[in-house]
Amino acid sequence: YEGHNKDLSWISKIQVNHPAVLRRAEQIQARRTVKKEWQGRAAWLLKAVTFIDLTTLSGDDTSSNIQRLCYKAKYPIREDLLKALNMYDKGITTAAVCVYPARVCDAVKALKAAGCNIPVASVATGFPAGQTHLKTRLEEIRLAVEDGATEIDVVINRSLVLTGQWEALYDEIRQFRKACGEAHLKTILATGELGSLTNVYKASMIAMMAGSDFIKTSTGKETVNATFPVAIVMLRAIRDFFWKTGNKIGFKPAGGIRSAKDSLAWLSLVKEELGNEWLKPELFRIGASTLLSDIERQIYHHVTGRYAAYHDLPMS
Amino acid sequence: MRTGVIGLILPPTFSFLEMMWRICPALAVGCTVVALVPPASPTPLLLAQLSGELGPFPGILNVISGPASLVPVLASQPGIQKVAFCGALEEGRALRRTLAGECAELGLALGTESLLLLTDTADVDSAVEGVVDAAWSDRGPGGLRLLIQESVWDEAMRRLQERMGRLRSGRGLDGAVDMGARGAAACDLVQRFVREAQSQGAQVFQAGNVPSEHPFYPPTLVSNLPPASPCAQAEVPWPVVVASPFRTAKEALALANGTPRGGSASVWSERLGQALELGYGLQVGTVWINAHGLRDPSVPTGGCKESGCSWHGGPDGLYEYLRPSGTPARLSCLSKNLNYDTFGLAVPSTLPAGPEIGPSPAPPYGLFVGGRFQAPGARSSRPIQDSSGNLHGYVAEGGAKDIRGAVEAAHQAFPGWAGQFPGARAALLWALAAALERRKSTLASRLERQGVELKAAEAEVELSARRLRAWGARAQAQGHTLQVAGLRGPVLRLREPLGVLAVVCPDEWPLLAFVSLLAPALAYGNTVVMVPSAACPLLALEVCQGSQFVEWASAGNLKPVWANRGCLRAWDQETEGAGPELGLRSARTKALWLPMGD
Repeated sequence: YEGHNKDLSWISKIQVNHPAVLRRAEQIQARRTVKKEWQGRAAWLLKAVTFIDLTTLSGDDTSSNIQRLCYKAKYPIREDLLKALNMYDKGITTAAVCVYPARVCDAVKALKAAGCNIPVASVATGFPAGQTHLKTRLEEIRLAVEDGATEIDVVINRSLVLTGQWEALYDEIRQFRKACGEAHLKTILATGELGSLTNVYKASMIAMMAGSDFIKTSTGKETVNATFPVAIVMLRAIRDFFWKTGNKIGFKPAGGIRSAKDSLAWLSLVKEELGNEWLKPELFRIGASTLLSDIERQIYHHVTGRYAAYHDLPMS
Repeated sequence: MRTGVIGLILPPTFSFLEMMWRICPALAVGCTVVALVPPASPTPLLLAQLSGELGPFPGILNVISGPASLVPVLASQPGIQKVAFCGALEEGRALRRTLAGECAELGLALGTESLLLLTDTADVDSAVEGVVDAAWSDRGPGGLRLLIQESVWDEAMRRLQERMGRLRSGRGLDGAVDMGARGAAACDLVQRFVREAQSQGAQVFQAGNVPSEHPFYPPTLVSNLPPASPCAQAEVPWPVVVASPFRTAKEALALANGTPRGGSASVWSERLGQALELGYGLQVGTVWINAHGLRDPSVPTGGCKESGCSWHGGPDGLYEYLRPSGTPARLSCLSKNLNYDTFGLAVPSTLPAGPEIGPSPAPPYGLFVGGRFQAPGARSSRPIQDSSGNLHGYVAEGGAKDIRGAVEAAHQAFPGWAGQFPGARAALLWALAAALERRKSTLASRLERQGVELKAAEAEVELSARRLRAWGARAQAQGHTLQVAGLRGPVLRLREPLGVLAVVCPDEWPLLAFVSLLAPALAYGNTVVMVPSAACPLLALEVCQGSQFVEWASAGNLKPVWANRGCLRAWDQETEGAGPELGLRSARTKALWLPMGD
């Protein structure tokens, strides 16, 4: 997706009322969209697995844990559990694997060895703070793409948002878009650092106008990561952009999503605000690392009726 | 002091919370309750059973399940001191008429419609959620009038329609639905409304995931309804939203205040100054800024105009079930043969007792209207006799035309007077007190001629002056901030002037009663039309009938009424002459919710 022309009138009159959005978030969490019956729940959990960008972003990543991660991405749920649910051969894998730029080569090699064609996503542009020179940020993207990443998660320059330089923000993201070439661009807004929900909306709009394929709530390293109020504002921006241009942009919450119950709440939020069309891996991802093991434990419980011990499930 | 036995009448569809909010304060202050509920809703019966199990006090809550025809029967039971009626407008009116003159006081809470005012500086998506809260969910009691600023009309309508498409309707207890059904009667009412609206040229939009069985009705959005059509005047039923555009904030206020309903409203604007201006200007009982439908037991909820003037929640809700200690219980002064059509129309004819002796009397007093004495329309005057039967003077005989002129003058003066700072009002009352004191000897000698002893007369004049000053000082006390659990931000309990007050003074304490009624009314920013006592003891009977007539006549547009039923009031005692009851009756409460956060 190449993006749209710069049009600041789309954001000039926007207002977001924080307490009202908080109330709406509480309401959504109190409602139940997912059916209560067990069969339905297991199906939703497996669906949630297919949305996960399995992530490892630590200082101590080496090729060995990357390899384990990629294997887990290909076989997220234990074979016998999938067989019990009749989902063994249905190609249940996570949506992608997300790593630092230096580890992209290892990830690509490991996935090739496992015979898996899920994409490798790389973070870039001075992740997580983004406070480096533009030249090096663009170079990072190019190098990651060269190494074989087909999705790039960039961080925006928060200082531009906080000083209200919307045109400059547009121009920067446009340059990221160009540097990505054919790769998918996910723009991380780092909403915890943007100061107000109105800024979140404006940044979302600018990011989408400039050519992002996805907008992402946070890096996972801020003090406040993905919360429902912020998500509601971003989803409303996605819907407004769709109404204006007909283009569907994807949404990815990341950071703080640890339990299966959380993931189902996120699924129902997207369903409430945008509808079923957005509930597919091309338009919705969840950035998580420990979530997968919790989902696996829930499925284990569903199939066997018992709770799994720590050693029952393979480590990722 | 508590009122006594309360009769509670609930409408055909009421929420559990509403019922609790009416029963609990009554029980809390020590009243006992008899509730009449429609047979289709058995929940109060369960509540009564639970309360019966409370041991030593069976009978504090009694519930009768019966049809609407039992309402007048319950209301006219001799043991009931107050009837709290919650329901539809016409039934409220009829009840007001039947209860005129009866022993029981009447509190009315009528109508379910609310208002949402969407300006162009609002967060439109959140305002749309507010519309859902108001009309298309189980949280709202009735329909909604939606006023949208013209510049955001298209955007708002598009988002509303899209949101409606995502609403789900079904059985209320299912956690996955947004709204339930309200019964066959409500369904018929809304079907008739929508048909009529369509026949008058309105556009009707319906959407949502709704089962097609009978009592379920889809969320409905009506636009382009001509303002003069009868549908636009009637109350909007659930689950209908009637949308109309406006151009400026002034126009919005005029449109919003131009209906007889005065229940609750919300203002959506991100500009604080504009939001507060609209909030203060709306004539309703509750205003929410950038929210809709928030409720809390510590915040008074009620209305004005045709929404009735009874309150629940907060201090006003407790005052509903209390009366000042030391005052006697109300007596029934029902006269069954009062002819409402001819009451008060006959002109009494009093012939002079004999040829007039003595110096020719002073020229007759005129009517004091609009700042000066005027001759009455009918150009007739009435002689006033003093306690020994001699002629005291002449006063003008005012008629209906004079009343109308006086009310008009009061209406014209009202915006200016209400807009004065409390300090300015206090200054005027103090000036009035000073003027009273300057003329103390004249006033005392006049009172003496009416049969009051000189010392008592002087005391009366002094007390009147003191009362004026006391109320002047109280003009400063406006509203206060309430603490509400679960809300970040203040809720203001404002006390606003009622408008033009009509006061008919009693015969006892002719000067003091006059002053005691005038002072709080003026202190709170009202303008008044006063009919002083006619200084004739024979009128005591007519005052009694007058109370009944006034209560009956107020059913026309449901004004708040306070009548003394012919009982004498001890105006010189603090509680009765200058107590908080007078202050409570002179002003109207408004709850202003200000959720905060960015």
